[in-house]
Amino acid sequence: MMSKIKTLLKSPGSHKAGGRPPALLLQGIDKTFDGKKVLSCAGFRLEWGEVHALVGENGAGKSTIMNVATGVYAPDCGKVIVDGRDVPLRNPADAIVAGIGMVHQHFRLVGRFTVAENVALALGGAGRRCSIGEAAHLIEEKSGELGFSLDPNARVERISVAEQQRAEIVKVLLLGAGIMILDEPTAVLTQGETRGLLSLLQRLALAGHAVVLITHKLQEVADHCDQITVMTQGRTVLDAAPMAVTTIAQVTQLAFGEVKEKPPVQMGHFGDELLRIEDLEVGDGAVTLEGLTLSLRAGEIFGIAGVGGNGQSELVACLNGLIRPLDGRIVLTGLDLTNASPAQRRKAGLRIIPADRFDSAMAGDLTLSENLTLTSLDSGRFGPWWRMSRKAMIRDAEKSLKDFNVLGGTPETKASLLSGGNAQKVLLARELSAGTRVVVAHSPVRGLDVRSVNAVLDLLAESAKEGAACLLISEDLDEILHMCSSVAVLNRGRLSAPLSGADLNPTRLGELMVGHV
Amino acid sequence: MIDLVLAWLTVLPSFTLPLLLASLGLMISERAGVLNLCPEGLMAVGAMTGALLVLAGYDPMLAVLGGVLAGTALSLVFGVAAVVFRADHTLAGLATVALGLGITGVVGRSSMQKPFDGLARLSDTAWGAGLPRLLGQQNVLLPVTLLLLLLVWIWLFRSHSGLRLRAVGEDPAAADVVGIDIQLTQLGAVLASGALAGLAGAYLSVASAHVWVEGMIAGRGWVAVAIVIFAGWRPGGVLLGAALFGGAEAAMLRLQTLGLDFPIYLGAMLPYVLTLVVFCIACIRRSGDNGAPSALGRTYLRQDKH
Amino acid sequence: MFESTLLIRRQSAPGWLSGLCYFGGLASGLGLSALLLMFMGVSSTDLYQEFVVQTFMTLQGLDQTVTAAIPLILVGLGTSLSMRVKFWNIGIEGQLWCGAMAATWVSVNDVGPEPVRLWLMMFAAMAAGGAWIAIALAMKLAWSVTEVISTLLLGSIAFFWVQHMLFGAWRDTVTGFPTSPSFDSAERLDLLGWGQVHEGLWIALTAVAVCTWLTDVSRFGLQAKAVGANLRTARATGLPVLGTVAVFVLGSGALCGLAGGVIAAGTEYRLSQSIGAGYIFSGIVIAFLARANPLGVFAVAVALGGITTAGGVLKVFYGISEAAVLMVQGLVLLSVLAAQLFSEYRLTNRRPV
Repeated sequence: MMSKIKTLLKSPGSHKAGGRPPALLLQGIDKTFDGKKVLSCAGFRLEWGEVHALVGENGAGKSTIMNVATGVYAPDCGKVIVDGRDVPLRNPADAIVAGIGMVHQHFRLVGRFTVAENVALALGGAGRRCSIGEAAHLIEEKSGELGFSLDPNARVERISVAEQQRAEIVKVLLLGAGIMILDEPTAVLTQGETRGLLSLLQRLALAGHAVVLITHKLQEVADHCDQITVMTQGRTVLDAAPMAVTTIAQVTQLAFGEVKEKPPVQMGHFGDELLRIEDLEVGDGAVTLEGLTLSLRAGEIFGIAGVGGNGQSELVACLNGLIRPLDGRIVLTGLDLTNASPAQRRKAGLRIIPADRFDSAMAGDLTLSENLTLTSLDSGRFGPWWRMSRKAMIRDAEKSLKDFNVLGGTPETKASLLSGGNAQKVLLARELSAGTRVVVAHSPVRGLDVRSVNAVLDLLAESAKEGAACLLISEDLDEILHMCSSVAVLNRGRLSAPLSGADLNPTRLGELMVGHV
Repeated sequence: MIDLVLAWLTVLPSFTLPLLLASLGLMISERAGVLNLCPEGLMAVGAMTGALLVLAGYDPMLAVLGGVLAGTALSLVFGVAAVVFRADHTLAGLATVALGLGITGVVGRSSMQKPFDGLARLSDTAWGAGLPRLLGQQNVLLPVTLLLLLLVWIWLFRSHSGLRLRAVGEDPAAADVVGIDIQLTQLGAVLASGALAGLAGAYLSVASAHVWVEGMIAGRGWVAVAIVIFAGWRPGGVLLGAALFGGAEAAMLRLQTLGLDFPIYLGAMLPYVLTLVVFCIACIRRSGDNGAPSALGRTYLRQDKH
Repeated sequence: MFESTLLIRRQSAPGWLSGLCYFGGLASGLGLSALLLMFMGVSSTDLYQEFVVQTFMTLQGLDQTVTAAIPLILVGLGTSLSMRVKFWNIGIEGQLWCGAMAATWVSVNDVGPEPVRLWLMMFAAMAAGGAWIAIALAMKLAWSVTEVISTLLLGSIAFFWVQHMLFGAWRDTVTGFPTSPSFDSAERLDLLGWGQVHEGLWIALTAVAVCTWLTDVSRFGLQAKAVGANLRTARATGLPVLGTVAVFVLGSGALCGLAGGVIAAGTEYRLSQSIGAGYIFSGIVIAFLARANPLGVFAVAVALGGITTAGGVLKVFYGISEAAVLMVQGLVLLSVLAAQLFSEYRLTNRRPV
């Protein structure tokens, strides 16, 4: 309905609404991070009064180009034109003055400050100094206007993610931003919250703002956006096309490549139970896991779906032995590992692929051969404790790199220099070695290129075929549906009952993912 | 007993104020995210410069000011290394201490152990003659220090620029996108810490000891670093910590003058032991959130991927 | 500020650039120090004579340099070991004092039979240094007390303890000075017949060899590298983190304690108040400049030994305090640190957008 009204207001295809110059025009932007080109001649064109979707894969350069527009990243070359004027954006302050505001994916709010303090800080930075009290008043006024409630005196680190996002939006609007950029704003929201946010954005656009919505959820784009730009690998491949004349299939193909119907990996003949988790309770991080129970059989790939930040990291850290559960048991083939050390778990055959490999699986400053050796130092393969054999390490590493088809590095290369996909393959080479009984993989293909995605998923399937049990924790439903025959959903620290067969479909999973438990 | 307490109270400021000033400055610097281990060196140059100026015949107040400037100058060296050149804060801080102690040793050698009059007691000034003994024995830097404490307190937590400074130490990325100049703020904070540590040093030589000797800071700079952590980066805690250490030191001195047969050096050791113990207790009680600025000691780079 | 220049972090710097920055920083630090000394009245030819010719190119100068380098090698190795597991052992002076006290205690109380007395002194020194740092390590592991502060405070405490002993129980009754009684000849490290150079040189060289083995040959070396590079990864991959940290940190304390014992038994032949002075920064400077590499430590320690020797000469002939050495250390460390900017970041001019 809404988009129909607007289609009437504007003539589709025409870029100028009422003869006004575009709100934001980025032309020929190049940006390199340490020799790696992230943007090459990328462009973006935003009109006043529209909600403009910026779509693309992970690492396509969406956030980067918008960070150029907000003065954070200095591009290697290119032009930024705001409302028809050539503005030098030397720093974020320049962007504020130019009326560009961004709600970053990781909110730029000081966690220890209250909402009002954060707003006062921002206003002061823009040369409109005000007291905390005045800021609080402004917040109440603005949030009332936008139709939600926000406590100005609450500390940011104590409020929910959705509230933090509202605080960011209010902050950006109070700064007088005519152009609003939101980076993956719905990734952290429930379905209801998402609907609220998207209709708010549409109202803002109707009021004359220009809104950019960075997302990879195509349904949102179809329902709520007026224009769409698609980026892949640092290039703009679809430049400001009106939504009215664009189909989702077109966008999907441009943004994510050919989507092939892949046959499901799992057949459903499983062996004995290998891993049992009973009533696990973990209360270390921001999310508390409660009463988590599941059972994994040999050869099975069990999926845990759910929006990130609902306890996935806590579960993985707990399985890894990095945090102690408050209650419950972890049993691997009859062996109680609840309070076992990481080394004991490893010995029992439990292997972990964490979401951030350079946080708790590999060390970026160590070479590949060193990283590969870390877990088998006491096997004696590399000499006695008083004399390590570098030669044996390198020989082993060379074989692993070859077997797992790791490109772009020798055993002596520092791990941090590898691309994400190759680094992940190195990790798999280490973790899927002999003695693996249970593999816990958390978002194992996030941020990887298509070819690496297939290679990594194939490796996991392979190891399941050889009799290991695999726990696949992922936000990506396609990946989970492709890999798993039974799936449970983790939402706010609680795991749903497993779905399989006809119950296992995107709609049902989606409901469980956003539902309030 | 009353006399003893009074006597203790009388000497208390001269042990407490230097620590209070140094830790106050340190707190400002660390609230802006710059891990600062410099006080030992900054206090040394402050103390030496103050003493040298008095010996050269300058007015003691001017000498104190000289000490402040010397501390600021040395802290600029640290600031340039740590903030502009992004050197590791810990190492740069230690190098600055070495530099400060080296300079004082080299420059001040000829002025070692020459006593001088220094800053007058309040009772010796024209307007302070009628003050009770407890106050009369103090000098003008006592009210100055207390005023500074109050001002820093209000400034840090009630003013807009204080808010900005704390934002830089908490979350430089958030501060950056609202247009705060991270480096300028941090450099300013480091200079403030230099000025206050210089004042602390000048207090030790010009107002308290009335002489300068090499090594007279005797680890007080390190104690100041401990106090700030113990204080959870809060002015009230800084006051408490400084009073605790200074009080213990003053008590040791008093007990010795009473002729109590207590080994001198074990007595001198006690405040350091006490600091360590209190420091541990503070760490135990505040496991988890110790109040440290979230970005303390980290280098923020806008062009990093974040 | 400084917005015309952009800093972009490098993933890795080419070897030649790191080397250039390192030596450039070193050169500018030394150059700056030389300028300061010239400003204080030392002529440039004298500087060259004292710092280069006399200390490294003449036999009697070199023997002083080597003598000064012996304890520096030990504290440098000690600091390097703790640095490898990211433990900031700043208060090495404390461990050094404790080592010297332990050695003196063995000497004063004539512990053990005379032929092995010297060995006992050295072991006591190592044990005392290790025990002293164990306090800081335990505090860190149990209550996350930052070791920067605890080792420094323990350093002050150890110094007062030394004072207490020197002005009390151990005061030399013969001279009345606050030093311990002189060690017997069996309790001294023998001179090697080359100036003041003593058997401590063999101890230091052995320590270099042991540390090289520990960090480059044994399994501990790789474990420590992993712990230093990424603690969480080391934990998650099941490495013996606690054991590795204990070996390196206690080893660090033991080496610094040994340095104290070696100074007492090799140069001073007694415990005096001047034994540990000035080492607090030497350890960090050497370990940092040597990149915690044992052979590098040897080289840097010898160079610093030369500077120390020359500093002693300056004191005698120019009345310049030996604190000049401290100043040089500070300047060199600062300039090498600052020069790293150019290898850690890529500096580009901001192009107009």
